[in-house]
Amino acid sequence: MTARPTPRRSAPGGAGGPAAVAALQAALAAENSAVYGYGVAGAHLAGPRRAAAVRNWVTHQTARDTLTAMLAAREAQPVAAAAAYELPFDVRNAAAAVALAIVLEDRLSAAYLGLVGLSDPALRAFGARAVRAAALRAAAWRGSTLAFPGLDVPAPRRPGPATAGRGTTAPASPPPGSPTPSHPGG
Amino acid sequence: MARDATRRRVLAIGAVTLPLAAAGCKGLTALGTPPTAEPGVAVADDAITVEARLIAHYAAVLAAVPALAGTLRPLLAQHHDHLARLRDRLIIPPGSRATDPASPGASPPPSPAHSTVPDTAAAALGYLRDAENAAAAAQLAHLAAAPPSLAQLLASISASEATHAMILGGYRRRR
Repeated sequence: MTARPTPRRSAPGGAGGPAAVAALQAALAAENSAVYGYGVAGAHLAGPRRAAAVRNWVTHQTARDTLTAMLAAREAQPVAAAAAYELPFDVRNAAAAVALAIVLEDRLSAAYLGLVGLSDPALRAFGARAVRAAALRAAAWRGSTLAFPGLDVPAPRRPGPATAGRGTTAPASPPPGSPTPSHPGG
Repeated sequence: MARDATRRRVLAIGAVTLPLAAAGCKGLTALGTPPTAEPGVAVADDAITVEARLIAHYAAVLAAVPALAGTLRPLLAQHHDHLARLRDRLIIPPGSRATDPASPGASPPPSPAHSTVPDTAAAALGYLRDAENAAAAAQLAHLAAAPPSLAQLLASISASEATHAMILGGYRRRR
């Protein structure tokens, strides 16, 4: 997800065209909201799930920086993060925090799929890798899979008690063990 | 993949308008040469073959280890969804060879040899995990050649298969 295609200028619709810039901006906006959202989610999680949230928070910061650089290379002004974001539902417990993480990753899958629809092969490949990464994180939180990540995105659902902690498949890599930041949006 | 089958298939988009336009200009007798298949047809055909082969792997494992049915059925159902969505991209004339194992009269995809299908649950889960990873990579092999909307579908299916591999790996570790 951090690999960066070589920036190139080209005709509209190509690597440096308005379609590419718009798709990169959409992905950046989704990453900005993910950075904010994981900060909220992490505050309501403990143990391995908190560690996973922190790990993902760091991942999304890195992705945000990558996209920002890609846009700057195309002489585009990267969309700025908002000071706060409206959440799809109240997040006051662990079940809601997990549900929020799922929503964030599902939306990222959809956003990165926009890059796959471009003509530039490098941006396509970059987008496909990012769709995969987001789908894997969503599946780890959800404990199940979707047939079409990014294409058929489930509507955000207020979590019920039965879904709390359902995801028996933990994220694969070990958690970094650092605390969840209280002001993630920067 | 058989390219003769590819020539009989056309992408759903644009497949109807072009022959009709030609017929309007010259009459049906002028259509002696079949239209050339668009590049996306071959890509979709390959993706269908990959998906059909994966379904065959699941069928073989379910036959060898029926106790895994409850675990594998949800994932297998998603593969049938993948196959259906891919087949929706093509117009396949009746009677032509098809790689969908559910299609009447279809040629079966290459099936795994019985000797290669593990007969224990843990080994079978590892076998399918590897098959999912291979399919996820194969679906992206021709990403650059696909029309934009097909590229997005392939990326989505590939991502889904990567999540299948992760889930199967988790099941296997717990056994």
